[in-house]
Amino acid sequence: MKIAFTSKGNDLDAQVDARFGRCPFIVILNTDDKSFEVIDNQSSADEAHGAGPKTAQKLSEYDCNVLITGNGPGGNAATLLEKLNIDIYIGAGDMLIDDALNAFNSNSLKKF
Amino acid sequence: MKEIVVISGKGGTGKTSITASFAYLARSVAVIADCDVDAADLHLILKPTIKRKENFYSSFEAKIDPVACIGCGKCERVCRFDAISSENRIFTVNPLNCEGCGYCEKVCPVDAIKMTQKLDGEWYISESRYVTPLVHAKLGIGTENSGKLVALVKNVAKQLAQKSNKDIVLVDGSPGIGCPVISSLSGAHFVVFVTEPSVSGIHDLKRVYELAAKFNISAGLIINKSDLNHEKTNDLISFAEQNNILFLGQIPYNENFTQAMIKGLSIVEFSDDEISKTIRQMWTKIVNFVEN
Repeated sequence: MKIAFTSKGNDLDAQVDARFGRCPFIVILNTDDKSFEVIDNQSSADEAHGAGPKTAQKLSEYDCNVLITGNGPGGNAATLLEKLNIDIYIGAGDMLIDDALNAFNSNSLKKF
Repeated sequence: MKEIVVISGKGGTGKTSITASFAYLARSVAVIADCDVDAADLHLILKPTIKRKENFYSSFEAKIDPVACIGCGKCERVCRFDAISSENRIFTVNPLNCEGCGYCEKVCPVDAIKMTQKLDGEWYISESRYVTPLVHAKLGIGTENSGKLVALVKNVAKQLAQKSNKDIVLVDGSPGIGCPVISSLSGAHFVVFVTEPSVSGIHDLKRVYELAAKFNISAGLIINKSDLNHEKTNDLISFAEQNNILFLGQIPYNENFTQAMIKGLSIVEFSDDEISKTIRQMWTKIVNFVEN
């Protein structure tokens, strides 16, 4: 399974960023082999509008099953993510990715 | 560090007047961010001294190179905003009409059109009259607030708070429920709704509440001008109860709001009457909630 985390940093030691559209990085963990990939999303700071849908578009290329974030995407991005069949879990803002993963595994994150 | 966002949905509910009072009450522990950039007016009360000023570029505008242009007119035909016109086959862009979509740039056969970034306004780090740092911005005429600008103002405020060991970032949020509001709410720990008992006040509150609920942000409700319509005030209180919104209190219509504004003061500075006590209690409730 591939789990994407909106992240403040570019590795698995980073904190989850509460924002979706304008998070600087997305860290994608493959739980089968513990490998990870990183999407550099820092350019989202330059988008005047529609940062969420653009971030969702970038995510669409990675075949993720789950997205873990803080507050969740806005309406437009949420529609796109739903079409991509990505389950969204929220409430992980400011947690370390590792802690967010544990929270997800113990069903303590809220489904968006 | 906790981020508290004050928001209203509808304009004219007293959001900024109440935010200014909160800013005064939190003056030693907070950094203030004014994200209501379309019509920013928190600075009228906080009277900031600007410490740092930066240009803000966001939107785009088409520019036609008259030397490269072959006068084919494709750009004029595709422009949905009637921003391109011609005289004797010389094509020009009217910057007031150009929405920056870039369609003309795409269809130009000789690459004579370039999208250039427009100076939309300025943003500032300032020291308010309370010495509390204030991050704010000013947009030019015809430019609009955006999620980008809100995110920028909030991020600068958060960095300042971290650097100066402040516990709270107090955000005067943007109106509506669009991109700037999504950006105002994203990452917040608590949202304060300031509303009034009117049809439009309640309608807009419910819209912005839906957004905050979706984002799973704890919320509190302040009913301003609560004696305008007692029935609607009661409706609002039950709405808060049903939706797990912390009811922070109500303020009857009061001339102090106007009088304080005329003097350039927040309400809690202007007088020490019941209204001020109520606002102080509201802020205490918020801080207690956020800290637990």
